[in-house]
Amino acid sequence: MSVQETGDVNAQKEEGVPSDETDKKSDILQKECNTSAQEQEPVPNVVLPSNFSKCSRSDLVTLISRMLSFLIRINDSVSKTEQYELTRFHSRVPPQISVYDYLMRLTRYSALEPAVLIASVYYIDLFSAIYPAFSLNSLTVHRFLLTATAVASKGLCDSFCTNTHYAKVGGVQCSELHVLENDFLKRVNYRILPRDDNILSCKLERQEGVFVTDAYPEGHVRGPKNGFNVLDTYYRKIIEIVGSYDSSPDKTKKAHYSMESPVKKEDVDCSKKKRVLDETDADLKITSSKKPA
Amino acid sequence: MASSSQFKQLEKLGNGTYATVYKGLNKTTGVYVALKEVKLDSEEGTPSTAVREISLMKELKHENIVRLYDVIHTENKLTLVFEFMDNDLKKYMDSRIVGNTPYGFEMSLVKYFEWQLLQGVAFCHENRILHRDLKPQNLLINNKGQLKLGDFGLARAFGIPVNTFSSEVVTLWYRAPDVLMGSRTYSTSIDIWSCGCILAEMITGRPLFPGTNDEEQLKLIFETMGTSSERTWPGISNLPKYNAQQPQHLPKDLGALLQTQTREKMDLALVDLLYGLLQLNPDRRLSAKQALNHPWFAEYYQH
Repeated sequence: MSVQETGDVNAQKEEGVPSDETDKKSDILQKECNTSAQEQEPVPNVVLPSNFSKCSRSDLVTLISRMLSFLIRINDSVSKTEQYELTRFHSRVPPQISVYDYLMRLTRYSALEPAVLIASVYYIDLFSAIYPAFSLNSLTVHRFLLTATAVASKGLCDSFCTNTHYAKVGGVQCSELHVLENDFLKRVNYRILPRDDNILSCKLERQEGVFVTDAYPEGHVRGPKNGFNVLDTYYRKIIEIVGSYDSSPDKTKKAHYSMESPVKKEDVDCSKKKRVLDETDADLKITSSKKPA
Repeated sequence: MASSSQFKQLEKLGNGTYATVYKGLNKTTGVYVALKEVKLDSEEGTPSTAVREISLMKELKHENIVRLYDVIHTENKLTLVFEFMDNDLKKYMDSRIVGNTPYGFEMSLVKYFEWQLLQGVAFCHENRILHRDLKPQNLLINNKGQLKLGDFGLARAFGIPVNTFSSEVVTLWYRAPDVLMGSRTYSTSIDIWSCGCILAEMITGRPLFPGTNDEEQLKLIFETMGTSSERTWPGISNLPKYNAQQPQHLPKDLGALLQTQTREKMDLALVDLLYGLLQLNPDRRLSAKQALNHPWFAEYYQH
């Protein structure tokens, strides 16, 4: 199960014809909401900016760990019943530290940017699609997150740390991170820029045993905005799928998330002139020693 | 995917920013290639320059961009297999120095090279990629007169909003004034400034602004192009390294200045293009697409 697929499932649910079932489901949800509302104080609503780079990193970490926990619950139930192949990303037993705490740790000590956090979610879909033996579950999530965030930082940002640093924060040997990074890059064939035709290209390259595909149709038209807005799409999807407090097994932060309505053109121009660091980011003290590109 | 045994390693071509480059021969096809060897660092793992160069160049298939054919993994190094090019623009210009006097190219060759340079840059920008290190050493040429962009080790994708944009980009002589003053919100215009500097250098055979440090570089630029103010460049005074006390200069006549260093005729259209590429205010600089539609290139696009 990938993020893209869960999105599809939700879409199907919305269009779902058998009204009986959906009614029942919403009944159950309703009851759950009612009981929790009666017993505890109401869940606060948090409105997130439509531009993900302005979203506070602590909210993003909350959302992403909800998303991952949501996927892990599904994938764990599948892998328990099926024989599965071991990958380099597998731990022998699920690590003690929760997904939320681990991601928060990486974000804080390796100063991960919002784009890197969202790219890591995109990489789940990319990696699962071209490496069927891999699925994100409670045994693979930690090594995957460490590798994905390190690769995204090195590939997309001008400021990043050494593997020695990432490995130390992530709790693995540096030599192991080298191997994981190499494994990841080779399998996705270095297609780490978030573009919506990456999966297609990787599969074509694999099929033909080439490094760069030429079979790619000339004048091929990319998706909306030429596939350059993949991270915006993922940000929106994550909020849609796990914005609600009830949607995920991860209950670390009590909040319902929604996205503000898209900003008008004039606002965008204003924000372009002055880029102020998100105030809410102040709680994430950057302690890592960064080196320039 | 290829293995290293498929290539015969020939003579060393040079040291790149993070790697050693050799000429190579593909034993199965008989085609020459350039082999860029990258050592895997025990601290860094795969160097970010290699990660960038490979991931970005995979997206760029264009006749004015050096083609990346393959990547070979061995125990402790990566080998990037590139299209082979005979020379680079820097070496080619140096080969034309007679005694101590540099000579620029014939105007028809200047135009053909600049056209190809802008075609390559326009393609990068269309694919949301900034090169960020355009200079004669990184422009590769072959005996057919083709020019291609190489060395994408400093390049990056834009349109992916990240908060950290380094201002330590582009070799000093080709670095735009906004970047020199510490701007971190630069975009495609950063490459266009370099294209302007390279155009002037091809005409005269000498670098246009050969500064030795950031301050001197800005001084050389302002002495020729004139100083800017809030009026001609709104926002300039907010740049981190903006100096309000700097001596004021009026712009010089760039056409006349370059004319003293070349035997070729500096026509009005060429001077106008130079001014379009070398606008101090990044928002007023031409885009690569606009530059390609400039009247100076009329003979190429009117066919």
